[in-house]
Amino acid sequence: MTVRVYRALVWLLLPTGFNDAFADELVAVYTDLDRAARARSGRVGAWRALIGEIPGLVRIGFRERRTHRTVRARRVAPRLEDNVFDSLVQDATFAVRSLRRSLGFTIVAVGTLALGIGANTAIFSVVNSVLLSPLKLHDPDRLLAVGEDSKAATTVSVRSTSPGSFFDWKTSSQTMDLGAYDAGYSRTLTGRGEPQQLVGTQIIGGLMDVLGVRPLLGRTLTVADENPGAPPVFVLSFDAWHRVFGEDRDVVGKAFTINGVSRTIVGVMPAGFTFPAAPNDLWFPGQLDAAFRVNRDQYFLSVVGRLRPGATIERARLEMNGVMDRLTRDWPKFNQGNRIVVQPLRDTIIGGVQSRLFVLMGAVAFVLLITCANIGNLLVARAAARRREISVRRALGAGTGRIARQLITESVLLAVVGGGVGVAIGKGFLKLLLAGQVTTNLPRVEEIALDSRVLLFTLGVSVFVGLLFGCMPAWHLTRDRFSDGLREGTRGSARHQWTRNTLVVVEVALAMILLTGAGLLLRSFALMERVDTGVKPDQVATLSILKRKPDPAFVPALIERLRGIPGVQSVAITSMLPISGRGIGAWFNRIDRPLPDNVQPSGEGYRVITPEYFATVGIPLKAGRMFDANDRREAPAIIVNEALVKKYYPNENPLGKPVYLGAPDNRLFDSAPIVGVVGDTRDAGLGNDPLPTVFIPIAVMRNWPFYSIVIRHSGSSAPIVASARRVVREIDPTMPITNVQTLAEVVSSATAPARWSTTLLGVFAGVALITAILGVFGLLSYTVTQRARELGIRIALGASSQGVQRLVLSRGLLLVGAGLALGLVGALLLTRFMQSLLYGIAPTDPITFIGVGVLLVLAATAASMIPARRATRIDPIVALRTE
Amino acid sequence: MTDKSVVAQPLSTQVFQILLSLVDQDLHGYAIIQDVAERTDDEVRLTASTLYAAVKRLLDQGLIDEVRSRSRDDDPRRRYYRLTPSGRKAARDEALRLERLAAMARAKRLLPSPR
Repeated sequence: MTVRVYRALVWLLLPTGFNDAFADELVAVYTDLDRAARARSGRVGAWRALIGEIPGLVRIGFRERRTHRTVRARRVAPRLEDNVFDSLVQDATFAVRSLRRSLGFTIVAVGTLALGIGANTAIFSVVNSVLLSPLKLHDPDRLLAVGEDSKAATTVSVRSTSPGSFFDWKTSSQTMDLGAYDAGYSRTLTGRGEPQQLVGTQIIGGLMDVLGVRPLLGRTLTVADENPGAPPVFVLSFDAWHRVFGEDRDVVGKAFTINGVSRTIVGVMPAGFTFPAAPNDLWFPGQLDAAFRVNRDQYFLSVVGRLRPGATIERARLEMNGVMDRLTRDWPKFNQGNRIVVQPLRDTIIGGVQSRLFVLMGAVAFVLLITCANIGNLLVARAAARRREISVRRALGAGTGRIARQLITESVLLAVVGGGVGVAIGKGFLKLLLAGQVTTNLPRVEEIALDSRVLLFTLGVSVFVGLLFGCMPAWHLTRDRFSDGLREGTRGSARHQWTRNTLVVVEVALAMILLTGAGLLLRSFALMERVDTGVKPDQVATLSILKRKPDPAFVPALIERLRGIPGVQSVAITSMLPISGRGIGAWFNRIDRPLPDNVQPSGEGYRVITPEYFATVGIPLKAGRMFDANDRREAPAIIVNEALVKKYYPNENPLGKPVYLGAPDNRLFDSAPIVGVVGDTRDAGLGNDPLPTVFIPIAVMRNWPFYSIVIRHSGSSAPIVASARRVVREIDPTMPITNVQTLAEVVSSATAPARWSTTLLGVFAGVALITAILGVFGLLSYTVTQRARELGIRIALGASSQGVQRLVLSRGLLLVGAGLALGLVGALLLTRFMQSLLYGIAPTDPITFIGVGVLLVLAATAASMIPARRATRIDPIVALRTE
Repeated sequence: MTDKSVVAQPLSTQVFQILLSLVDQDLHGYAIIQDVAERTDDEVRLTASTLYAAVKRLLDQGLIDEVRSRSRDDDPRRRYYRLTPSGRKAARDEALRLERLAAMARAKRLLPSPR
């Protein structure tokens, strides 16, 4: 490796003449040295030796070239450039000198480029880690997500399945090895100081072997661990091992109390393994008993498959179709109308965010393009001013290609320096993104980093943009006849003007597209914010607790004590907070109108609550009554929301109708009447329709393991939460308290993904607007200077100041008009890719388009006013005298 | 190019050491590095690039020469170098220069006199 690097360095740094004579030998000697260094002090020694060689190589590079040049100069005989590197060094030296001469220009250009490249670097880091990098699992391309979906569904989604179906699939499949998991278990580890709240995943069907990741210590979980009689074990994540156990290697083999059960740690997974999603602290085997293994109405298993050698995803799909046909025959009630979906695992993990990230990537790319156009414009102006210099060089014998290369070297150098600064800016920007938690809702967020691929990307982008805007002035200069340059002074030609106009038009068009995208997001975000969430979130504090043992006295005692805290208006307990998802569901069955045997009922989400829940979070009662102390296990009653009424009782009065939840032989309760109807809440996100929901009194389902406490209070929430914590501790000191937040925070986190993409796109669009307007301003100012003489004559001949002003303004508006037209076409073509990000408006929303157009015209007019005003103040005498 | 004006300049330590290595034997590049390191107790340790920067210059100045085809089983990429008469003279001149300098130091009793 080191020898290869050395060879590359020799080839790169040393001039051809030297290399022809010595390169082979040099490398041969170095190989010997390398071997000796390696024998003496290993790989470190080898690298140290390599680093030691570098100063020598650089010195030879410079000295050989210098003597070479002096020799050549003495000989006077023209010689071909000895290699590209030589002339590159020369060009670069010259470029540095010329850029240093116009420091102001250089700083502005490097600065704007760095911003553009920095934004690209940061967003690309996210895209790279989330979308492009392979999953950190063994041979991840052969991993598949397998799930159930309705045949009627228009979009494919991989849904969880039941243990019965999973084990059927597993035993039938010839193409895949299957395993399953159920994530998001709250587990409490006690016996090591404060109780520790951990997040765990239940592993079923030997999933760890399917994923194929080797443990760092000990072993992973096997199918044998899943036997109901096997000793209870678990595997730790690296992070939990570090956080809870201080990386103590001896914990493997030791037992700890988890949720009251003593379990032995059998292994520690390597850092970075957080399947299925971070955070995940531990994995434990699901010990399903024989009855539960054939259960077909509890849908909670996510299934992962690994293709066996030689199998393809198409064959797996075909095979699963066959399996489903058979299962539908055997178990029509459970499988009618369903199909098995097989998809690459990667797609299901990143599916939801793809379009969001690509829109952002597109936006930053646009910002960079606008920056390029702007700098290209500056460079064309600069080139016009440098025509005399170029003409002199050409008169002295510089070839066209040589001059073009010189100019391109200059702009590439500019871009690469900008890129270097851009990496630093991108790093800061990325840190800001991560610290601002705008990426919280992204999958794989723990993997996001600025790695070598990102750096390579940045370098590539820098060189590309350098070439892009470097070509423009180069193209112009090389086409000028040099004698013109010597004669004409520093005035630009018509062709320059044409290029600059085009660039400004393109800038405006790009800005228009970006502004439209941002405008659409902003408008749909505003619409979403205005959506009635269904709750009154102000002055409601929430905290979650985990109840480890069934204890009928606990909840009433807790509520009683919490109610006693000064400032508390009402207190309730719920199995799941509103606006935070559908939660657990069960089949909804009308007893008064049973479904035919071969039709599967649909599952609806349910929440277990105490009577004061609705009053506490602010859900209004629409019909019937609230829960009270008479709703007990022996005489259950339920309340439903309006969405459920709309779905199941469209033209009926639901009150008093008996229902049950669950499968016929596995009911949550035998039968309960609907006693009340409440308002809807947007549990599936503010952009989605309310879900049908059933509310069950806690007295009916006393053994529910975890709860959130909601407290409506007056005054600020901090003292209330502190008192609530104390109360919980007093009742049960081992009870972990998690997720302390206000209901307003819960609601706002529901719009977080929309908020952060709107904010980012808004910022990018703002930058684009400013850049494009600066472009318009710069061009018009330049034009006024160029046309000073002509304008002076006009004024001298009696043109009114309004007339002159109009002349300049109309020119600016003409450019903006052309840009708007072009941008309109582009926006219409591109915004439809944002469809999935929009809420309540179409991608062609006319209000947004018109608003953006008006904004651009106003901004452009403002920017044109300054040069236009200056034009009216031209003194004809001065203007005519200067030329 | 081998006029005195070049040689009369003090030689750099590395160049002098390379010439010294070649005084009594013809050596290839790696052997020169090893020989210098051994004689100076690792005080002068040449890198491949410094060696060949010097070798190129010494060849250009005609102070050393290349010896082709030493033996058949040797690495064909290896070339051996030998001192030219002017190289030998340059090394000697340098040694004499150093001796003169040392004598001056002795005269000032900076160094003890040799027995």
